[in-house]
Amino acid sequence: MARAREEILQDLADGVLNLDEELAVNTAHDAVEAGLDAYDAITNGLVRGMNRAGELYDEEEYFVPELLICSDAMYAALAVLEPHLKKDDSRVRQRCVIGVVEGDTHDIGKNLVKLMLDVGGFEIYDLGRNVPLADFVEKAKEVNADLICLSTLMTTTMNGMATVIEMLKEEGIRDRFKVLVGGGPISQAFADRIGADGYADNAASAVRVAKKVCNVAQAA
Amino acid sequence: MLSSLIPKDNQTSLERVLSYLQGQNPQRIACFPLILNHAARVLGVPVGKCIQDAELFGKAHVAAYRRYGNDLITFLSTTSTLAEAMGQRMNFIEDDAPQLAEPLVKELDDLKKVKVPDFTRDGRMPVYLQATEYAVAEVGSEVCVSTVLAGPFTTAAALRGADVFVKDLYRNKEWVHELLEICCEAGLRFIDEILKRKSLPIIVEPIGSASLVSPRTFKEFVAPYLKRMSDHIHANGGGLPAVLHICGKTKPNWGPMLESEWDIWSLDGVDMGEAKEFAGHRVCLVGNVTPANLLTNTPEEIDAEAKAVCAKGMGSPCGFILGSGCEVPINTPGENLDALINAARKYGRFDL
Repeated sequence: MARAREEILQDLADGVLNLDEELAVNTAHDAVEAGLDAYDAITNGLVRGMNRAGELYDEEEYFVPELLICSDAMYAALAVLEPHLKKDDSRVRQRCVIGVVEGDTHDIGKNLVKLMLDVGGFEIYDLGRNVPLADFVEKAKEVNADLICLSTLMTTTMNGMATVIEMLKEEGIRDRFKVLVGGGPISQAFADRIGADGYADNAASAVRVAKKVCNVAQAA
Repeated sequence: MLSSLIPKDNQTSLERVLSYLQGQNPQRIACFPLILNHAARVLGVPVGKCIQDAELFGKAHVAAYRRYGNDLITFLSTTSTLAEAMGQRMNFIEDDAPQLAEPLVKELDDLKKVKVPDFTRDGRMPVYLQATEYAVAEVGSEVCVSTVLAGPFTTAAALRGADVFVKDLYRNKEWVHELLEICCEAGLRFIDEILKRKSLPIIVEPIGSASLVSPRTFKEFVAPYLKRMSDHIHANGGGLPAVLHICGKTKPNWGPMLESEWDIWSLDGVDMGEAKEFAGHRVCLVGNVTPANLLTNTPEEIDAEAKAVCAKGMGSPCGFILGSGCEVPINTPGENLDALINAARKYGRFDL
């Protein structure tokens, strides 16, 4: 017997939130079987669970391991649901180019921000780590990005963030993009000094800042 | 500022540090800026070259001490050095610290590839140990020389890749303990080698930071092994203190950190006043001027920040040492380090 919508959505959210990949994936199959709208299952099930996980991370109930395992559960269930999305479900999403600046390969922080932005409704173009500075500019132009997110853990590479902003200015396209910076040695003062549009000190607040600078309505 | 306004020291650095161990107040507090790769700048050699050559590595740290008068020489280029000696490959960079290459332990079965190093030849163990010998011989009678190694949790994360390792904490608990066991054994043997050379072993456990893992994880996977390391130092160190540095946030873990019985905590992203209140009766506290500020701020701003840290840390029952929260950035201007150490001379006095 097909399960009720509310129950399915709750199990999808719980599977993600409670690090239970098996529950999330099995429930995703239930959702398909029950003929539940895939978009509904994703946004009101999986994403709701992941957003709650993000809140717990913000409250220091969850930490990096928990958030990464939640995201594994979410993406595994998403793989089941995505083929069933209707064509008109492709929403217009804000585009975000993200990466770790040249000279640095530490990418856990970047990956968390990427995850939360993805869940937060941004379309992500991940350039990875140790990214040549010009690549940020090229990719942002190519995809007509709204947002460029720059990350680093190292003091020797943080000035690369200023260089990216200078490159945008030199091409006369600085005002086409919002630039967000973050990472261990980065501070609001540093962000202000190099003329970035925003700074966040963790992945959850990064989404809030990204939505603010991009003028995306915040969920209540 | 005018150098005439900075009070003169009347103790050698070593006398100052020994005062703490004897439970006495020094003339003024010690200052431990964590000068690591920045030492190459003082010698004027590229970082990548300095940290792969025992002679340059040793000379750079002695030169940094002679230039700044820091109260602790700290031999470390990256927290992955023990993992490197255990088989982890590194990417060496011309003028920066090396970074981790592909993890050695890609599959669970790769655990069998992980070995306790041969300290006479594996990785850069000879570089660290020979540089240590050099510094101890050269300036060991006037300043405390330390050799720094990562704790088991950080070493394990380096061998496995931190992103995969943190998931293993849930999915492969028993396996994680097996890996930590080897990393702990390697660390204990490294401590023995350091002690043999009359250097102070210091343990850093950045991956155990509360910026990354929960207090529950810390209690289960970090604290038990840290306790074994502090026990080992107490049993074999001839009275040397057990010194632990954890970068980032640590406050949620202060309870289990206390239980793992370290004598000195070097702290980063915390309020030193809160640390004093929580642990000052049990441990000597080191910290915690913001590392990135050392790179970007003016000497006046460093002085003001250090003054505020001293105001919080001074009077801590088991002692307080002014320091940087984490590594002094490689390109830190010399005058900012001078400002930090002068702040210890100005705001950390017991003789006035």
